[in-house]
Amino acid sequence: MDKKIVLPAMGIVLLVGPSNSGKTTLLARLIEEGMIQTTEVVGSDQFRMLLSDQPYMDWTGYPKDQADVLYQEYQEVSEQAFEMMEKVVEKRCRLGKLTFVDATHLHPDDRAKYLQLGLKNHVPVVAVGLDVHEKALLYRDQKRDYPRGKNRIKQQNYRFREVKRNIKKEGFHSVYMLQNEAINTVRFERLPNPLWVDCGAGVDFIGDIHGCYDELIQLLKQLGYRLNDAGLYIHPTGRKFVSLGDIMSRGPKSLETISFIYQHVKAGLAYMIDSNHGWKIARWLNGNQVKLAHGDERVAEEFNQFEQEYGPEKTERWKEEIKAFLIEAPAHLVFQQDGIKQVVAVHAGIRDRYIGKQSKRIADFCRYGDVSAVDEHGKPTRDDWFVQHQSAELIVWGHDPQPYPMMVNRTINIDQGVVFGGALTAFRFPEKNFVSVKSMQPFTMEENNPLWKWKKKRFSPPNMQKLITGYGVQCEGYGEVKVRGESVKPAVDLFSHFTIPLEAIPYLPPTMSPPEVARLDGYLEHPAEAIAYYRKHGIMRMIAQKKHMGSRAVLLIFRDAQVAKDYIGYQTNGVIYTRTGRSFFHKDDERQMISRLQRDFVVGGYFAQHQTDYVLIDAEIMPWNLKAKELIQAQYAHVGEAAIQDRQHLLDRLKQIEHAPADMTPWLDELAHKLHNAEQFQAVFEKYCWDTSDIEAIQIAPFHILAHSQKTFFQQSHEWHMEQARKLSQMSSLMIETAFRVIESEESASDVVKWWEKITEEGHEGIVIKPDRLIRYDGKGSMIQPALKVRGRKYLSIIYGMDYLEPENLARLKKRNPRKKQHRALKEFALGVESINRFVRQEPVERIHEAVLAVLALESDPIDPRL
Amino acid sequence: MQLSITARGKNANVLSHLLAKNPQNKYDRTHKGARVRLVYTTFTEEEVSLCLFAEPDSIDMVQNQKNLSDITQYMNDRQFVVSSLFCSYIRSALSTALNGKPKPEWASYVAQPFQMEATFGPVATDLPDTALKQLFEPLGYQVIIQREAVSYTFTAKQKSSVRFVTISGQVPLQLLLRHIFTLIPVLDHNKHYFIDQKEIEKLRRYGEGWLDDHPLRDLIIKRTLHFSKLIREMGLTKSSKESEEKEEGQVPLNQLRYETIVHTVKSLPFHRTIVDYGAGEGKLSERLAYIEGAKEILAVEPSVHAQTLAQNRFERLRDRKNIHAQPEMVWGSLFYYDERLKGKDIMILCEVIEHLDEMRLERVFATIMGEYQPQALIVTTPNAEYNARYQLFDSYRHPDHRFEWTRAEFLNWCHQLTSCYHYEVVTTGMGENDEKYGEPTQMAVFTRRKGGEKHG
Repeated sequence: MDKKIVLPAMGIVLLVGPSNSGKTTLLARLIEEGMIQTTEVVGSDQFRMLLSDQPYMDWTGYPKDQADVLYQEYQEVSEQAFEMMEKVVEKRCRLGKLTFVDATHLHPDDRAKYLQLGLKNHVPVVAVGLDVHEKALLYRDQKRDYPRGKNRIKQQNYRFREVKRNIKKEGFHSVYMLQNEAINTVRFERLPNPLWVDCGAGVDFIGDIHGCYDELIQLLKQLGYRLNDAGLYIHPTGRKFVSLGDIMSRGPKSLETISFIYQHVKAGLAYMIDSNHGWKIARWLNGNQVKLAHGDERVAEEFNQFEQEYGPEKTERWKEEIKAFLIEAPAHLVFQQDGIKQVVAVHAGIRDRYIGKQSKRIADFCRYGDVSAVDEHGKPTRDDWFVQHQSAELIVWGHDPQPYPMMVNRTINIDQGVVFGGALTAFRFPEKNFVSVKSMQPFTMEENNPLWKWKKKRFSPPNMQKLITGYGVQCEGYGEVKVRGESVKPAVDLFSHFTIPLEAIPYLPPTMSPPEVARLDGYLEHPAEAIAYYRKHGIMRMIAQKKHMGSRAVLLIFRDAQVAKDYIGYQTNGVIYTRTGRSFFHKDDERQMISRLQRDFVVGGYFAQHQTDYVLIDAEIMPWNLKAKELIQAQYAHVGEAAIQDRQHLLDRLKQIEHAPADMTPWLDELAHKLHNAEQFQAVFEKYCWDTSDIEAIQIAPFHILAHSQKTFFQQSHEWHMEQARKLSQMSSLMIETAFRVIESEESASDVVKWWEKITEEGHEGIVIKPDRLIRYDGKGSMIQPALKVRGRKYLSIIYGMDYLEPENLARLKKRNPRKKQHRALKEFALGVESINRFVRQEPVERIHEAVLAVLALESDPIDPRL
Repeated sequence: MQLSITARGKNANVLSHLLAKNPQNKYDRTHKGARVRLVYTTFTEEEVSLCLFAEPDSIDMVQNQKNLSDITQYMNDRQFVVSSLFCSYIRSALSTALNGKPKPEWASYVAQPFQMEATFGPVATDLPDTALKQLFEPLGYQVIIQREAVSYTFTAKQKSSVRFVTISGQVPLQLLLRHIFTLIPVLDHNKHYFIDQKEIEKLRRYGEGWLDDHPLRDLIIKRTLHFSKLIREMGLTKSSKESEEKEEGQVPLNQLRYETIVHTVKSLPFHRTIVDYGAGEGKLSERLAYIEGAKEILAVEPSVHAQTLAQNRFERLRDRKNIHAQPEMVWGSLFYYDERLKGKDIMILCEVIEHLDEMRLERVFATIMGEYQPQALIVTTPNAEYNARYQLFDSYRHPDHRFEWTRAEFLNWCHQLTSCYHYEVVTTGMGENDEKYGEPTQMAVFTRRKGGEKHG
């Protein structure tokens, strides 16, 4: 049978042999046979040609001084050509390509260079030697266009004999030596990348099992796999499952699990990834000196029991099979859909540049994760590996137990610590959802239970280094929101001086934008533009809510003080804070308000009915002067007084005029009109203020129920939220419901406009128009504004000044553009949704806080605050 | 914003010539973006009355400002109250009178006093009525201050925050205007423009012949010039300089605190790496830089403003002799974690803990003693008992203090920490010792115990 050479999916193939040994001819044959492409071959002649326009230079027969020059010139060209060629080979390695290098490679240094390249880029380097009789070499040389000459051929052949002696020891992935005739008959085979797997009918990735066999079976049943007659679990639609490794150790049934997975992998029904425990057991089975600890000793015990039951012979055979299975497990797999990489399955972690490649170093990284914690330059890395993941594939991993599937940067951790009393999780692809089974193992409150340790460390302060130079937050349903270091700094300043404890701030309300400027004359804002915005984005059903004029507040009220510890790390009945995270009330008032609300909710059965330990509410608290007393005194009332008195005084003065040089009527009319503006201005803000010596005078208008201890309500309609507000108002006299109208037709739209006209003429702030649900997307899948505020004509005088409706003023004010504001509103909204989701999942304070901090960071950028 | 002027007496009608404003016309111009109007309301030989008012463009005022950070910008009293802005708007309308340069035939009237009355307002000032009177009365005026009653539908404020001021006296028009142009900015205390050398020159010109003898001269200069460099150039009277120097002669408590801390740091066996946590403007770090053997000083501070000041302070250190470690600013606060602060020789919290809510201390010290684990930790905080000496009644020494502890409370807290973490503690006081109340500041020096680790 002819000799066969198996080519790796990627890497370097070095042809080794003297000139005229047939390297180029061999490659030409492979190209002709369609085995390789012309672009997969690089050669020194080719690069000499590219750089110097000639493939070879002959200096024989020239006088010495001329020959020297030519020789040097040739050397220079060769040096540049080889350098360029190496660059090309390296880049191709990086991109995971296969490259044949057509050069003699007779010098050990020439080969070492490529071995180094292969190592650096985690690709195999293969050597193919061409061993031809010297006579044939010399014969061929005479026939070529630029003969190398007898001496050089002989010299090269001498070198080649040396190569043959040493090359096997040099570290090539494989070495092939072809002699004479074999060069013409050798067959080649190209392997596909063994790490590439097609998703087929769908894949279910399963986290660390650790011998929790019963949970595994339960999970597979839940995923729809059914036991067949051969004792295998088969999915009716042909789905396969993928174990992310660590299938044994620690738990009760390691051998059963190993056997189960092994049978399914062997039958082509499943895959298993290499892992730290798997590798340890493999080496133990191989007879290596390893210390079995961290639950690995339990695997040994199970083998002992097996041996007692089935005898040594069967056990030995069984051990051999398992050893081979574990050793051959891939370090990671790349799942493809339509030939495009989609999901990378790995045990402990991977760098983007390792994906699809194999090497010892990669295998270690995949097994243990980033243990060195230093980067390529030897500097300590600041972030976990998943923070650095930038390429677009989704990475699914296990290894590091997290209490919930942790999603960071298109990486998902699905080890929920089933062996520690957590859960066994499956991630389904392409559905991208989770199925999980609760652990039957006891949850131990001890230091070596990572879930317990994790819970205990949840409230540790956020890492400043991750935040201060700017960062991004992955927001579900929106994408990444980035904040710059310059904006983070003032936000950190606020959180360090003025806010309540940051673990008690799961959310900051987003800013809200007005719609486009009103087309209607005499108006700056009008509901028509808001309705048009939503209709333009395909939203036909909207809600219009009355906008209260008070101060924004977030209320977090706990069932009792004790339960708070589990959610925010300290005991408290609750917190009420402003939109910048400051305490809404002074200490004593807050205590009174919160205990009153808590009592009302408990008596009303709220916590029991909803089976929740807390309620998180987004609300407006009235009156305005409750929070803004100083601002009202120093600004609004003060400016109002200055304006009224200035205009009144002047009017009185000019009315007394005895000497009338000219017609004073226009000036007097104008002043009277402006005095009226000033008086109306005062009446407007007075409407939002009243005395609150009794706490009964305080009104809280909730508009969103943000979260309970197990869930969020972003999917609920606003009508549902309004209904909840109504129920709360029945439970507590401090709470009020909010008037609203639904917009679903032309008629209801014009009713809303009339309603808006009426209440704003009475001096109310205005309305907020929202799509029917909190989170809505446009036709292109982009999130749209969750709300647009439409403020009344009178109200806006406290924002834009008492004379803003004067035609020459309004014309200029109408030039504003809310686009930036809308962009920011959306980002802040997405951050709010994200931070609440993280809070409900009881993620670490650091993860919740990065989203909350980002809201304040965005707010520290100057955009016209009057929008 | 408005100014009314009335002149009574023989030839009062000369005023129109001194002002170079025709009594038959309404004056209506736009100057520096404001509409300025002037009209005579009375014009007889014996009595002339005129009203001058300005109305800035409220939109332009805001839109052409660079700083948009304040929501109440369109709600700005600048468009209504008399201020330096008002003076600049009306200066052109009154320039002839202000400069005393009427047509030659009326020049003899420039220095002629009339029975004058001027009313201006609204005035928004932090000065009380008595101070207002003390500004004008020494110049020979009778002062009437009018403050309107206010009424709101809710308890907003006791009295109006604006006033109208009427001054009357026997005075030439030019001098009256110079008094007004000098003193309106003093009342308002809120300059709209960049204050520089020109302001000194203006003050000298308008104040010629009266300012130097004014009993409130220093107040006028300080409130006009704002900046110490300019104020020094203008020169204050001798007596007020002396009193300032006297104040500086005492050793303030904070300086004493820094000295004690520096002394403590020097006496500790390890002081190579030092963290000044909550470094503020960097005054302590600056002193630490001189300690022999110090190699690294990290000044941790989250306040943007304080950091800038500290940065400048540290820059000035660069070229100085005897500096052993150049302090380095680190963004951070006690509520965040920073691995760079781990394992230092000394960490200092100088007057920091009382600015944190008491319930947050537990977590903060878990991070410091459990994670950062400095060899020594120095904490200073006020001694609440000593407040009796300050007659503070119930309030704290600083409005941002969240608590102040007695010596027993502080000691108790220190011992709680040493029972949780691997530290021992020595507490002392600093400042003048009062037999009953102890010293004004208390200090704890925690040092890490040798031997096995113990977790909190």
